[in-house]
Amino acid sequence: MKKQLSWLMAAMMAMLIVGCANQKGPAEQAVAGAESALNAIRDTAQKYVPDQLAAVDTQLASLKDSLGKGDYKTVVAGAPGLNAAINSLKDATAAKAAEAEAAMAKAKEAWGSMSTDVPKMVAALQSRVDMLSKSHHLPSGVTKDSLASAKTGLDSMKSAWADASAAATSGDFSTAMAKATAVKDQATAMMQSLGMSSG
Amino acid sequence: MADDKTPAQDNPYTQTHVVAAGETLGKIAQKYYGDASLYQQIFDANRDVLKDPNKIFPGQKLRIP
Repeated sequence: MKKQLSWLMAAMMAMLIVGCANQKGPAEQAVAGAESALNAIRDTAQKYVPDQLAAVDTQLASLKDSLGKGDYKTVVAGAPGLNAAINSLKDATAAKAAEAEAAMAKAKEAWGSMSTDVPKMVAALQSRVDMLSKSHHLPSGVTKDSLASAKTGLDSMKSAWADASAAATSGDFSTAMAKATAVKDQATAMMQSLGMSSG
Repeated sequence: MADDKTPAQDNPYTQTHVVAAGETLGKIAQKYYGDASLYQQIFDANRDVLKDPNKIFPGQKLRIP
């Protein structure tokens, strides 16, 4: 009886070892596959969904740790969850990239009219500031302070516009539009302060 | 800025003024610049519609540079 029990124990140990060895290949394959899939989208994911990428990286690191310890069962069991997380990351990355691309296309289209309008606003303001600078008295509603502020503002607007143009030239229309919109708002406010509404 | 020299007549942001009865370029310059002596600049910006700074007519739309 004792001998039979020993044989049974030995047989069970052997089965366990064979079982573990059988899971080594699938476990290694699962980790390698996940790593490869993740690396394929890593750069884009880092740009658009860095937090989600970090979470998936943590999941992968945990499975790699288990693989290193020979805990193939945990790796094989955890692989489907990791793959699902990678697929979700892939979808989120694609969605965010498409969103960014659409925003960029919209900004590029808006830049067309902005790049025509703003320089003309600045030119009209410059002309008025030049005229008021020649005047011996200022018209009602315009103070020395508002004229001085307009002169300073024009310089900063020209500088900001140069930055916006440079961004557009480099293809970054989102930045270009953000800067151009700020210049346009400043120009609009300055026109009001100088009484430049038509009448 | 490339368009700094946009001529007033090509610039939709240049202020305009519709001449009222009894107005002169001097009065208009006084209104917009606080200085009647700057009427010549208004005349220069509107040479395409004005031939003589002393002859402006009600209803004329003038650019105010």
